[in-house]
Amino acid sequence: MGIKKIFKELVSSLSIENFELSKKKKSLKDLLKKLKKRRLKIYKSLKVDENETSKKEFQDEIEIISLQIQKGRKVLKLLSKK
Amino acid sequence: MLKIIFLPAVLLILAYGLWVSPNFKEISSGIAIFMLGMLALEHGFKSFTGGTLERILKFSTDKVYKSIIFGALSTSIMQSSSLVSLLSISFLSAGLIGLSQAIGIVFGANLGTTTGAWLIAAYGLKIDIASYALPMLVFGVVFMFEKNRILQGLAFILIGIGFLFMGIDYMKTGFEAFKETIDLSTLSIGGFKGLLIFSGIGIFATVVMQSSHATLVLILTALAAGQISYENALALAIGANVGTTITAIIGSLSSNIEGKRLAGAHLIFNLVTGILAIVFIHQMVFLVEFISTEIGIEYDNYTLKLALFHTIFNLIGIVVMLPFVSKLVTFLERVLQAKADENELKFDVPLYLNAAVLSFPQSTKAAIIRETKHLYDNAFEIIANGLNMKKENIISELDMNEVAKRPYAKKIADVDALYNYKIKDIYGAIIDFATKAQANMSQNDIKELYRLKLANRDLVEAIKDTKHLQKNILKYASNPNKQIRDEYLNIKKNLAQLLRYLNTAATSEAQEDVVIALAKAKAHIEKNDLISNGVLDNLIRSQLITNQMATSLMNDSTYAFNIGKNLVSTAEMIYLTVNENPDNVHPDTALTHDNESVIL
Repeated sequence: MGIKKIFKELVSSLSIENFELSKKKKSLKDLLKKLKKRRLKIYKSLKVDENETSKKEFQDEIEIISLQIQKGRKVLKLLSKK
Repeated sequence: MLKIIFLPAVLLILAYGLWVSPNFKEISSGIAIFMLGMLALEHGFKSFTGGTLERILKFSTDKVYKSIIFGALSTSIMQSSSLVSLLSISFLSAGLIGLSQAIGIVFGANLGTTTGAWLIAAYGLKIDIASYALPMLVFGVVFMFEKNRILQGLAFILIGIGFLFMGIDYMKTGFEAFKETIDLSTLSIGGFKGLLIFSGIGIFATVVMQSSHATLVLILTALAAGQISYENALALAIGANVGTTITAIIGSLSSNIEGKRLAGAHLIFNLVTGILAIVFIHQMVFLVEFISTEIGIEYDNYTLKLALFHTIFNLIGIVVMLPFVSKLVTFLERVLQAKADENELKFDVPLYLNAAVLSFPQSTKAAIIRETKHLYDNAFEIIANGLNMKKENIISELDMNEVAKRPYAKKIADVDALYNYKIKDIYGAIIDFATKAQANMSQNDIKELYRLKLANRDLVEAIKDTKHLQKNILKYASNPNKQIRDEYLNIKKNLAQLLRYLNTAATSEAQEDVVIALAKAKAHIEKNDLISNGVLDNLIRSQLITNQMATSLMNDSTYAFNIGKNLVSTAEMIYLTVNENPDNVHPDTALTHDNESVIL
């Protein structure tokens, strides 16, 4: 038990207790950034493209990405609360 | 033949020596106790550091110079180059580090072992080391009975250090007493001849004892007792450095091609260092004398000078070899190649699961994931061929109608035979390996292994469902009823599209591409389920197909649905895995059933 206590104090003094959590948040933020960039790119392609089939595909993709961004934000909110 | 003779010969010589000479008994038991100490120390550090060492290794070895520093520091702290080498082979085999990084670690480990010589020369031979050994052993044994993993690790470290000290003391006393019987220094051979002979003795001693550390301690204690001359001690140290590579090569015989390449690199490095040391011995001795004067080592302190010489020639070896690391890697990859499997119908074997990887949880998990990916690739091909489609067409830009129409072969793919050749052994090996690995893992790691086992099971289920689906796909491909023909063609096309999405996920480097491809795959499965999308109801209501056709279509639609679900769940497990690298994708971003409904 004593060893655990010493280890905990050492971890908190080095400020590394939330290392795993901050890594997760960072990777999620990076992913959200890239998804938003991708969505913007597809919006631009959608405006230019005349083909109905590819327009439908772009719209489907935008919906999927929007859903992922929504989900990602929820997860980030949950992680920030911890 | 040599193996059969070697051990009995060594045992006979030892037995004779132990019988005739009490001093020999003292020296050899000193060596044995020292080596026991090294093993205990290694065991202690392994359980004490847990995943920490592996995490540090992953972050500190992206450049060769960082690998060298890691190798040197970790070996200096743990006083065991074999543990560090084992770690590098394990990580190399699991694909977590490249060969150049592993070579850097080996270079560093060689330098790190020289610290042992310094410690022994500076303190071990001057103080009553045995008086420190006994309390360490006592406390070590007390801790050994604790259930706490950290205390148990500490126990082995204390016991290890205690035995190390005890071993050194026995060797010291042994050599001092031995001098009264035989003065080995009278057998000293000078000049180049002596250099070569004693280097050879150093190699032999290290091969017999399987440890350059033990040989070096033996040399230091013999030198301190005046049993060998300084010049011969230098030659023995050079030989010990070369001899340690023989140990590594013997160890690599049971490892995979990467382990063999690393052992090859180790041999080349130590041979080059040894040759340089022999050729430039006088220059090195002069350098040792110069540095000794500068740092205040006494003229007649030969043990410290030997430690300095050991450090210098390893350092020179690193400086000389460092610019050639990439050329060395190319050379090793060219000379030591994995045997190519020429016959497709040969049993496919696991590529990444070997004993070296079992030592550390991180490398074990990485190896299992890589092997699962190997299994996944095989399953992908079997499913494509089972549905009479070519993999290269599926992953191309070809229209799905064309992909579904172009047959894989004139002869129907035997899914059972393909399963036996390409899946069964690998699947069995993964399950077996994962079960063995659990013994050394934390609860979280065990949970992850369980999920990986489930992912593998899902793959096997997908192949079995393909076998069931194959029958009717072929049967209804040429049926006079256009509706049923079209529906079965759609099943094929939909599965081909799914496989294309999964291939995108498997081959994408960008994390957002993996996430999007898997999300598309999941949505695609739901969209094309004939039962939930109402297509089947419509066909039955409109009497466009017979009842028998309807039941077949219902069953086969379920098989197709399950194949899709199983493949996607496996792909999520192996391509959405979070490891310590923050650039990888977060697993919580996979779509749930509700998300899919929103998209649809």
